[in-house]
Amino acid sequence: MSAKPAQLEQGGHARSANLWLEALYNLRHSPSALLGMTIIGALVVIAIAAPVFATHDPIKTMIGVPGETGRLPSKPPCIPLLGCEEPQHILGLDLNARDLYSRVIYGARTSLSVGVITISLSIIVGTALGITAGYVGGRADNVIMRLMDVVLAFPALLLAISIVTILGPGLTNALLGITITFIPQYARLSRASVLSIKEQEFVLAERALGASPWRIVLAHILPNAITPIIVQGTLGVGTAILDAAALSFLGLGAQPPTPEWGQILSESRNYLFTSPHLVFFPGIAIMITVLGFNLLGDGLRDALDPRLNRH
Amino acid sequence: MLTFVLRRLTFSIPVIFGIMIVTFALARAIPGDPCLAVLGERATPEICEAFARRNGLDQPVPVQLLIYMRNFAGGDLGDSLRFHRPVMELLVERLPTTVELGCFALLFAISIGVPIGVLSAYRHKSALDVGTMIGANIGVSMPVFWLGLMLAYLFAVLLKDTPLALPPSGRLTPGANPQPFYALWGWVVEGQEPAGILVFFSRINTLNALLTLNGELLVDALRHLILPAVAVGTIPLAIIARMSRSSVLEVLSQDYVRTARAKGLREGKVVGVHALRNALLPVITVIGLNFGLVISGAVLTETIFSLTGVGRTLVDSITSRDYTLVQGFTVVIAAGFVLINMVVDIMYGYLDPRIRFN
Repeated sequence: MSAKPAQLEQGGHARSANLWLEALYNLRHSPSALLGMTIIGALVVIAIAAPVFATHDPIKTMIGVPGETGRLPSKPPCIPLLGCEEPQHILGLDLNARDLYSRVIYGARTSLSVGVITISLSIIVGTALGITAGYVGGRADNVIMRLMDVVLAFPALLLAISIVTILGPGLTNALLGITITFIPQYARLSRASVLSIKEQEFVLAERALGASPWRIVLAHILPNAITPIIVQGTLGVGTAILDAAALSFLGLGAQPPTPEWGQILSESRNYLFTSPHLVFFPGIAIMITVLGFNLLGDGLRDALDPRLNRH
Repeated sequence: MLTFVLRRLTFSIPVIFGIMIVTFALARAIPGDPCLAVLGERATPEICEAFARRNGLDQPVPVQLLIYMRNFAGGDLGDSLRFHRPVMELLVERLPTTVELGCFALLFAISIGVPIGVLSAYRHKSALDVGTMIGANIGVSMPVFWLGLMLAYLFAVLLKDTPLALPPSGRLTPGANPQPFYALWGWVVEGQEPAGILVFFSRINTLNALLTLNGELLVDALRHLILPAVAVGTIPLAIIARMSRSSVLEVLSQDYVRTARAKGLREGKVVGVHALRNALLPVITVIGLNFGLVISGAVLTETIFSLTGVGRTLVDSITSRDYTLVQGFTVVIAAGFVLINMVVDIMYGYLDPRIRFN
């Protein structure tokens, strides 16, 4: 109750702007959020500057290249860090004699963009649906939310697999499939926020002053509802990356020779017992990326939660 | 309480209807002609026409949906186009693998996740707490299929000749042919098919081993279960540990816990009786929600560990356009998901009267 007068005085915008500044301030003191930001920052740099970091063309086979001495995965991996004197392939070659290190580096591009695009799309669609349901109410609310219930009733990966099978395997369709499974989360979150905000005095006052529904939604409801969505979205990027990797692993996502971590894993899994490093490194790359988003999401949640506010 | 259960039950019915319609539509939308997929590319139009008539595919789609719903209510899920056997029979044959895997995965997750979460909340900011949270964050971030492959490599290759070696595939050692409990107990008449429910339970190897008092079979089944169950259970474990930690932390700072301590109750009683009962409520919800994760995990893990469960069968059937099977399996899984969430809600209502009366 104590927050109400402040909201009335400042309106939605000012309050959320303060909250964000405060959140940024709190984030500086959260080691997990800082670590998460560092990991994501480093990955973004690697993804953008992949040609600089990579030592070879990620889709070019090394067979027949003059001066090439790399060993195929049937032989033990040659890793310079472990004292092997064959410096041209840092993590060795994959089964098509391509440079594994360069493929993993380029994989950052695919995985990061899949994660971010998927979550952005599902936030846009989910929030639009949730706000409509919450603001309009009545039959629209009922129809939209029951539909969301049905989508949520399917285990996410299973639904994504079915959608990709219908649309055909490929990265874009995998992205669409995963997007659909994420929409209900954001619809539910934004609907709940709208329901709690739309009856508050500052919204009622705005309505009494004759503001259009669009203005009320965009200027007052959205800024107030966005906080939990951002937190959920940051955590969601990690899950989306895992789902995309899983689809590629099942052969439904990125297709060869695209360097995508799940796809590299899928190609190499039959060589697990002879060349485990082919499976190990792309998996570690997925784990570190997802970890980065999870740490940042957790930090954001703590920083934005007024109940945990220590100031 | 009864009104609450009934209200919750009526709420689930439209969702299950929705699931059936969506699954039906999804299965019909899978591209390609099922006739050509099943009978081969060289099937003539006449043969395909007969195939469509036999499988009811020549009827208008709404009629197909109605027939499907009527049959479903009677427990008939149709015949698999690929296996030429009733989908129900395949479900009875393959669901036990997934149920067993899922149960052991959840058992692993709960039996380790809850105590670790509670302990690290109790010892807030200790080395144990920090370690648990780092471990939980890493656990949530691991791809299930990668973890499965790495576990297989570790226990089947690196630890091959040690007592810790574990088999990387299958449910039992090849050649093992366990006697079902109903046969041992003489519950089945010679020359007659045993009831589906008996077959279902007898195919849960660990249960069958316990019922037939077969120690050797139990050890063999458990040894095969450990790796896939750990792979599937790790993400739920991390989530459950985090959830129980944060809810115990919240409860421990409440006034009534302070009161309990102030009036001189023993610490064990304060935490064990007063705090845990309330703290574990949200944990129950999380356990229910993890069912979806377990199913997704099972789809991937069954592929890696060569287990013929519903997950792997479903993925194979989607690619071979066996849509009666896809339809049947998906509806059963999704309906199971809805029912489990319903049971979780009812349990929640039972444990927390505020929910029941609102």
